[in-house]
Amino acid sequence: MNDRAVEPFTGWVARASGAALDLLGQDVRMEGTVIRGERFAVNIRNGCNGVETLLIFAAAVLAFPAPWRARLLGLAAGAVLIQLVNLVRVVALFLTGAYLPELFDASHTVVWQTLVVLFGVLLWVLWADRVALRRTAAG
Amino acid sequence: MRSGGRRPASAASGGARPAGGWALRLLRNALLWLVPVWALWALAAPAYNRLLLASGEALLHLVESPDVTDLLPRRGGHEAYVARRDFPPARTLVRAFRVTDLHFHLVLLGALFLAVPGVPWRRRLRNLGWAALATAVFDLLLLVVFVESVYATGLGDWSRAHAGPFARNAWGLAEHLLDLPLKLALPFTLWAAFYVRLLFERRDPS
Repeated sequence: MNDRAVEPFTGWVARASGAALDLLGQDVRMEGTVIRGERFAVNIRNGCNGVETLLIFAAAVLAFPAPWRARLLGLAAGAVLIQLVNLVRVVALFLTGAYLPELFDASHTVVWQTLVVLFGVLLWVLWADRVALRRTAAG
Repeated sequence: MRSGGRRPASAASGGARPAGGWALRLLRNALLWLVPVWALWALAAPAYNRLLLASGEALLHLVESPDVTDLLPRRGGHEAYVARRDFPPARTLVRAFRVTDLHFHLVLLGALFLAVPGVPWRRRLRNLGWAALATAVFDLLLLVVFVESVYATGLGDWSRAHAGPFARNAWGLAEHLLDLPLKLALPFTLWAAFYVRLLFERRDPS
């Protein structure tokens, strides 16, 4: 599972992050899941690819009593939004490592993991309240 | 654990406020609480680390024979060594790790539990206390599983000599599950256990 699905997905996350860093003027090159620049390099691994938050969000959406249409809408929108936030995380961490390396460890573990999971949780609350329960009531 | 017998005043009043407003206030409150809770957690972390290391060491001594594991704090209490007294003196310190990384989910837990709108403060704090207690038990379990996974998978020939393939896979998987998905999901799971019914109550006054 990890080799066939998660690692290729992580490679995609790394390429998207590398492209975003290129847009921001960082001269980076990709080596698998490693983004390497002149000042810093990061290796995107499990825990940094947004998959855990996505799984927590998906489990909560699927467990919630809601019409399947609302669930599918939540899963699709949640996957996109969580990956967008995760993209911001990887880019921000790369820039932190390049320009404020003393803050990298705390940012990597405490700040961004908390923010990404919190985003997933709050997104679920909004989905449950604004989409799932309204559609249930309407149905 | 229990979430209290009485309904919060605003939830009991059903549609007194639009439910969408409740969710948005929860979102705003969670973001506002994040910084003070983080500051409190950062201040309390060294003391909590010491408590966790002492409890973890005592628990490990209960399950290992002979009891040779020491968990030694270093660098102001944010990091620690896993040490084995039965190893040669030069190799006693078998692994360094960051204790603070085990329990940063307490920040998420605090922000989520303090952010819930329409619940009296006393009840919010009581629920947070129960959830923090459950989280502390989880942190202790995570620490013990981390040490066991180091022994089973991280010490090369010694690990292969003392742990079979099943044990190595089981400890490795348990450590991965506890340290990533379950650690990150725990605050949300506890929050949902206490408060998810508020979402329904606001929709269904009956």
